[in-house]
Amino acid sequence: MKSILKIILWTAIALAGAGALAAIAFERREPLNAVWFVVAAVCTYLVAYRFYSKFIAAKVLALDDTRATPAERLEDGHDFVPTSKWVLIGHHFAAIAGPGPLVGPTLAAQFGYLPGTLWLIVGAALGGCVQDFIILFCSIRRDGKSLGQMAREEVSKRGGMIALLAVLAIMIILLAVVALVIVKALKESPWGTFTLAMTIPIALLMGIYLRYVRPGRVLEASLGGVALVMLAVVSGQWVNASPAWSSAFTLSGPALAIAIIAYGYAASALPVWLLLAPRDYLSAFIKVGAIAALAIGVIFVRPTLEMPALTRFVDGNGPVFAGKIFPFCFITIACGAISGFHALISSGTTPKMILRESHARMIGYGAMLMESFVGVMAMIAACALQPGVYFAINSPAGIVGKTTDAAAATIRSWGFTLDPQTMSALAQRVGEHTLLDRTGGAPSLAVGMAQIFSGTIGGERLLSIWYHFAIMFEALFILTVLDAGTRVGRFMVQELGGHLWKPLGKSGSTAGILATSALMVGAWGYFLWQGVQDPLGGINSLWPLFGIANQLLACVALAVATTILLKMGRARWIWVTLAPMVWLVAITMTASYQKIFSANFRIGFLSQANALAAQISSGSIPADKIAVTQRLIFNNRLDAAVTAVLAVMILVLLVEAIGEWIAILSGRKAAVLHESPYVATRWAEGGD
Amino acid sequence: MKIVRNCARNIWSWIRQVSGDAAYENYVRSTRRVAQAEMARVDSRTMHAGCCSTHARSALLLTREEFYLHALRRRYSTISRCC
Repeated sequence: MKSILKIILWTAIALAGAGALAAIAFERREPLNAVWFVVAAVCTYLVAYRFYSKFIAAKVLALDDTRATPAERLEDGHDFVPTSKWVLIGHHFAAIAGPGPLVGPTLAAQFGYLPGTLWLIVGAALGGCVQDFIILFCSIRRDGKSLGQMAREEVSKRGGMIALLAVLAIMIILLAVVALVIVKALKESPWGTFTLAMTIPIALLMGIYLRYVRPGRVLEASLGGVALVMLAVVSGQWVNASPAWSSAFTLSGPALAIAIIAYGYAASALPVWLLLAPRDYLSAFIKVGAIAALAIGVIFVRPTLEMPALTRFVDGNGPVFAGKIFPFCFITIACGAISGFHALISSGTTPKMILRESHARMIGYGAMLMESFVGVMAMIAACALQPGVYFAINSPAGIVGKTTDAAAATIRSWGFTLDPQTMSALAQRVGEHTLLDRTGGAPSLAVGMAQIFSGTIGGERLLSIWYHFAIMFEALFILTVLDAGTRVGRFMVQELGGHLWKPLGKSGSTAGILATSALMVGAWGYFLWQGVQDPLGGINSLWPLFGIANQLLACVALAVATTILLKMGRARWIWVTLAPMVWLVAITMTASYQKIFSANFRIGFLSQANALAAQISSGSIPADKIAVTQRLIFNNRLDAAVTAVLAVMILVLLVEAIGEWIAILSGRKAAVLHESPYVATRWAEGGD
Repeated sequence: MKIVRNCARNIWSWIRQVSGDAAYENYVRSTRRVAQAEMARVDSRTMHAGCCSTHARSALLLTREEFYLHALRRRYSTISRCC
């Protein structure tokens, strides 16, 4: 009887999900309600978790709860700490959910809601979750080894070095692009800049409290910090209204970029307890709270999606970024669907804390499903805006023009309605001077979130406060990624540099810290500066570069996972990792080729460099702009070179991995696994 | 009423665990557990040495402040936040 009820329940869930997906895909007569998206996503996640992840756990990985995990065998109270799966999923989700699942879907909304939503749901269920789950499992079986170490041991020594270099390159591009998102969101915005600036003294205060007053009392310090941040958000309106204070906090793009570079350097070199850790606690609290509030708000307000299913920009001429759906939708949305960076978290602290192998299913697969849902929420928030408003905010001035009238005329020529007065009134309602040329996704997401939040609490009266709350929430955890990323990047530079010059490798020496911090900040700062100077907004070049790098890392992770499955004797199941890997290789290689060689100068780095060089030769660039144009030419060539180097590195690793697979399958090489030996657990089964 | 109280207690405990507020208590508990396991492993012949090592381990227990700084250094020397 019970099993019949189960069959009926799961059939109903599957049918509801399929019906909602069909409605999203085929309904064109009237605007869709967000509820369809929530139902489609949740039902698909439930079915994927219940059936696909269970199949992977039982058949592909054969998880074994009689086997002691590293947390049990190597327990030390520091790194290896057995932790309940309900707590660990919270840690893991907080670690993997960054700005990516919010910004990527917002940018990809330029194609319409359909491609991005399908990729978020299907990509996560069949790709991202599988990667996170299997890499977590592989790392558990190897005492918590990192992706690089596993690549070195299971694929080849060169594979390990490639993984390390790829991670460093991704970190540099990631930090540049997220910093650019902050610059675009806060330029000429005194309210937003004031709020974000206030988070620095608040974090310092928290740091001193946590270090000297009540050591380690994270909860009380964070709650106090959150209250102060909310006060800063509210008081930002008075700063905005005061001419003197407003002008003090009104910064141009280049000025903000310099401030962020200086901040990144200071945060990387200062003691971790003073600024980085308290800011991380603060941002984690606000991040989880804001994401939960957004989910509740979407369900409560049930907004209608104004964006069509597909826009005219599927042809590749989108104003937000150039390129067709294939491959650019799939590299623009990385986090939320599949992100190689997650493999670093899944082979970081989480495998050292897992209590039982079977918990890897909920933590690896389940947490990624939650992140995918965050991506779907961001897609809903972006598509709930009027398309004209969405494109006015996200298009660079170089494409739509610098004034509201010019932008409205250009956007109307694309077939979307936009009244110049509506744009000005919206900017005023959210407490900004203008919302034009706010590329990067964060401001349009903030407008969408503010509309959803104000529909739940406060109405129109609180729209400006909700907008700046959303901007603060995005900027705050982007700055945390910047702090933490620069610091980890510094360690990587020290590790690599130590091979060239020993003093550089000494992690404790002040000179080493200052030099490697400068190298790391200089590297991402250069790309940030390049983005700020770019007449096409910078996001057009940098976000695809980041997406390519991130998905290339996912190729590495899936190649390592496939190799391990083969060595485990699971050749018949390797399609589980091989299929998403082949898809990602197709996407990343096509995107890399197009970004380097496309004849469309908005896509191809080299054709843009050549077009600019031709303009200089023909004398159409004024004399005072020649130096800037030459820098743009150099930057485009540099971006092309970076893309090529990344693609070649990953191809080398893939060739090595495929060689290994052929050798194993043909029997020419024995399959030697580098797992830790089996030790039976001392704990009773079923305990948490 | 009891159910509500238990539920509230569980939620509060979960928040403390996830936020890292209970990290020091976990560390102390974990260190004691490891020490007890070590003790259990020694046979009667080496019981005295086992006891000493357990006492030595307890004496080496970090203070709350030391543990906090130690945990931060470890946490931020590896990739702990994603994009």
